Amino acid sequence: MRLFNISNDFNSYQQLIHFYNDNKNKMFADIELDLKQFFCANLSAALGAILDKLIINSNNICFTNIDKAIETILKKNDFLSFYGYNSEKDIYGTTVKYKKILPRDAKYFRNYIEKEFIESNLSNLPNMSMGVKHSIIEAIYEIFVNAQIHSQTEYIYSCGQLFHTKNEIFFTLVDTGITIKDCVNNRFNSSLTSLQAIKWALEDKNTTKRNITGGIGLAFLKEFIKNNKGLLQIVSNDGYYSFDEKGEQYKLFSGKFPGTIVTIKFRTDDKCHYSLKSEKDINLENIF
Amino acid sequence: MEKKTIIIINVYNIIGDKTAMEAEQGQKIFKLIDMAFKEDKNIDISFQNIELITTAFLNTAVGQLYKDYEEGYIRNHLKISNLTNSGAIRLKRVVETAKLFYKDPDRLEQSIRDILDE
Repeated sequence: MRLFNISNDFNSYQQLIHFYNDNKNKMFADIELDLKQFFCANLSAALGAILDKLIINSNNICFTNIDKAIETILKKNDFLSFYGYNSEKDIYGTTVKYKKILPRDAKYFRNYIEKEFIESNLSNLPNMSMGVKHSIIEAIYEIFVNAQIHSQTEYIYSCGQLFHTKNEIFFTLVDTGITIKDCVNNRFNSSLTSLQAIKWALEDKNTTKRNITGGIGLAFLKEFIKNNKGLLQIVSNDGYYSFDEKGEQYKLFSGKFPGTIVTIKFRTDDKCHYSLKSEKDINLENIF
Repeated sequence: MEKKTIIIINVYNIIGDKTAMEAEQGQKIFKLIDMAFKEDKNIDISFQNIELITTAFLNTAVGQLYKDYEEGYIRNHLKISNLTNSGAIRLKRVVETAKLFYKDPDRLEQSIRDILDE
């Protein structure tokens, strides 16, 4: 099967979902995959999650035809190392490495993110202040912890890509566990659609946790994205949600993704202070 | 806060990390606060050397106190120090959410019904 011009948009996620659904029932098969024209490297996380679902059915994954530029970037971010290729040095520091991480291994995840965002070449970006970096990292941690608490996934997959000229970083985290729809419906014995469940989960203070507060992480992330003029995309089950400067979009896929993908785009040249005006200079004496 | 001996909880020491990220880490802090509250002690949670904080950590460490203790009691017995501005913003949200969460336990069920009725 061919994945063609994969970017961070609805149609590209739809291609990935088709690829998964076309192959999910195969066993002991050679599954061929072409990557043509463009592949936005942060989506290595989504592709890696899908391929793992196929590999556990004892299928062989065969990259039969990868465009040279795609091959180079997927070697630089280490994705192809998982499929029999050698990695390549990322001289220009544009990749955030592809990783699959056990949910309980948060310390490893922290070390990886801090290495990638603070210690690596990415930190040489002149326009990116340490304050912005910390805000980005905190946003990424909120997503990781969400997956860790709610999804019961075996692995959390992550990958990112920096576009120097556009001052943008895309970062994707994927789990292959309980989707948002199932998580909400299991908790409340309800029958929300994927889109209703995503909408509910994004509302401030809504949580599926019992006896303990929550539901702030995603709402917080959305506010941060708004202030940063970035992008937030959520793919879960057959639901798609997107939020950027132009507004919000909810769409249904044909077929289901076996988990949840969260993609965020941050602007690295934004010097805004990431808090609401009313929240600046909080007095710790009166916080309770 | 009432004038008494103040028990200092050093978050960095308890979790052994400069990032307060996971609910599990928060649970360690919660247990210490809970233990001290049961003895009617005053507490200072020091976030010195903590650089990054998530709401998941704060929900567990502080948010769930509102389940068993009155707002006034928490206000009189708990102090926060050395928290980053970003952490303070998160903590404020966590506290506001916790107050609502434990006052109105049916709110979440109602929010599901509201979405289904839309």
